[in-house]
Amino acid sequence: MTHAMTTQRKIATIILLAVLPCLFLIASVCIGRYSVSVSEVLLCIRQWLTGIPAGVSSETYAVVTQIRLPRAFFGIMVGAALSVSGAAFQGLFRNPLVSSGILGVSSGAGFGAALSILLFSSVLFTPIFAFVFGVVAVVLSYIVGKLAGTNTSITLVLGGTIIQSIFGALLSLVKYVADTDTQLPSITFWMMGSLASTRTADLLLAGIPILVGILGLLLMRWRINVLSMGDREARTLGLHVGANKAAVISFATLATAGAVSISGVVGWIGLVVPHMGRMLIGNDNRWLIPTCISLGGCFALAVDTICRTLVGTEIPLSVVSALVGGPFFIYLLKKTKGGSW
Amino acid sequence: MSLLAVSDLTFGYKKDLPPVFHDISFSIEKGQVFCVVGPNGCGKSTLIDTVLGINKPWGGSIMVGAKDLRNLKPRQFAEHVAYVPQSHVKSFPYRVIDVVVMGRTYAQRMFSSPSEEELDRARDALAQVGWAAGSEERLYTELSGGELQLVLIARALAQASELLVMDEPTAHLDFRHELNVMEVVVKLAREKKLSILMATHFLNQAFYLENAGVDIRVALMDGGVFHRIGPPSATLNEENLRRVFQIVTLVEDSNVDGQVRKYILPLKNEGSGVS
Repeated sequence: MTHAMTTQRKIATIILLAVLPCLFLIASVCIGRYSVSVSEVLLCIRQWLTGIPAGVSSETYAVVTQIRLPRAFFGIMVGAALSVSGAAFQGLFRNPLVSSGILGVSSGAGFGAALSILLFSSVLFTPIFAFVFGVVAVVLSYIVGKLAGTNTSITLVLGGTIIQSIFGALLSLVKYVADTDTQLPSITFWMMGSLASTRTADLLLAGIPILVGILGLLLMRWRINVLSMGDREARTLGLHVGANKAAVISFATLATAGAVSISGVVGWIGLVVPHMGRMLIGNDNRWLIPTCISLGGCFALAVDTICRTLVGTEIPLSVVSALVGGPFFIYLLKKTKGGSW
Repeated sequence: MSLLAVSDLTFGYKKDLPPVFHDISFSIEKGQVFCVVGPNGCGKSTLIDTVLGINKPWGGSIMVGAKDLRNLKPRQFAEHVAYVPQSHVKSFPYRVIDVVVMGRTYAQRMFSSPSEEELDRARDALAQVGWAAGSEERLYTELSGGELQLVLIARALAQASELLVMDEPTAHLDFRHELNVMEVVVKLAREKKLSILMATHFLNQAFYLENAGVDIRVALMDGGVFHRIGPPSATLNEENLRRVFQIVTLVEDSNVDGQVRKYILPLKNEGSGVS
């Protein structure tokens, strides 16, 4: 945005950012093979909140509150977490082509999930394994990045690349020894991402890190501007660069690991949505970060709604988000060719 | 008491190699410009980085008032010292005002964003470098080199610190923008009584500042030590320039409209066949 935001425009933007996910949420809950009207959705929410029967059929009430609403919340949380972490990492690494998986959280989580499927032949422990290994991968990347003595962005990205390839190799190993009839399909499907098998119980496991991560990045959003000036300038401007970087990485990792642990690996959102935000609101992280939360939530929810309704069976999240995200990314490359980066 | 007092400062990148510079001592008074000149690779930028705390010195002290800069946290450091980088790698297309307000970083609490009051300070800083009011919404990635330099100076001014450190502030600038920056430097030193530590390759800038009535001292640096420290007219003479830069120069007075100004005319490399 090249022009000053007037107060009215700021307020309008904030309202839009808050209202948009709500509208997407209601629309998503309405859509599906079991048709529900908007008013029924609202009545169900009222009944769920107040406990007073609102006159909807018990069938409708169950579909809305036990199946579609939790899943829609998952969709919003996953999308918001991935895109806000992507935007934060892009700022931190001064690189607009970086995504939320840059420090290996997705590869780590992928290996963790595969390992749990191999060990227990069920998806019961998958979220916790995915979460833990996602965090472990980032910690390892960070340690490798610091080995060079200085904690520069380049050594961090290198660390991330190395750890990603190591966990990628370990994942291949797990796939190689996995049972090809039962375990391998589970692993493969998990790596494509889906919200089909989420359980409401996961809300606690994934929800807390996601909320902590998003809130942390929201609070640190202006500092991400300063960090994007480069280590040396950020330091002379008065930031403890190491501590602030570590904080941003921690919050982004919590959010991403939480998201990946319930949705599996979902590509594109952590890269594409921040760019949608940059085009819509500009690059100032004070506005970009909240925009990414809202936009990412809407994007993932829309993609997941397509995934569960387009054909008779579930389509993996990565497939739809890449089919939507891919063409957009090509458009973006064309548009920024010779641009400021 | 001097505003900045550096004594016996020594730094090298590797302990098993000789230091880049050693036992450097100098001081800067309030409202004074201290200009470090010397050939490429003489250690100017390394010295500046050491004063900025980016390089950890092997020995010596860097005092601002009664505080040793080496013991300050980045936040306290930024309160006393502001830095204008030699070259800035542009990152994202932020607006000019968003870049300048980053000068207020040290005044922010951990999780806050700058207030309207801080934005006003940033606008003030832009006005001080002569930035046209109303154009602070421009994207800083679209600025020319000269404009960017003014924005970076404004960002440093927004810090409202006593010492401004500039590493070759006019590298890559054309004459007009170079003059622009020098005029700002004159104003800051004379009117705002800012102390400025600056490294430059443009020796005539030292004379420019002296001619403009700025309290300025020059340090001729070579081989990791200061050969001479003093006012430009006493330091930048043909003999010293021949010793430090191995060049043959003509240092002359010009007389335009009754005002006498010194300037350096570089003639040739010492020992070159060109005459």
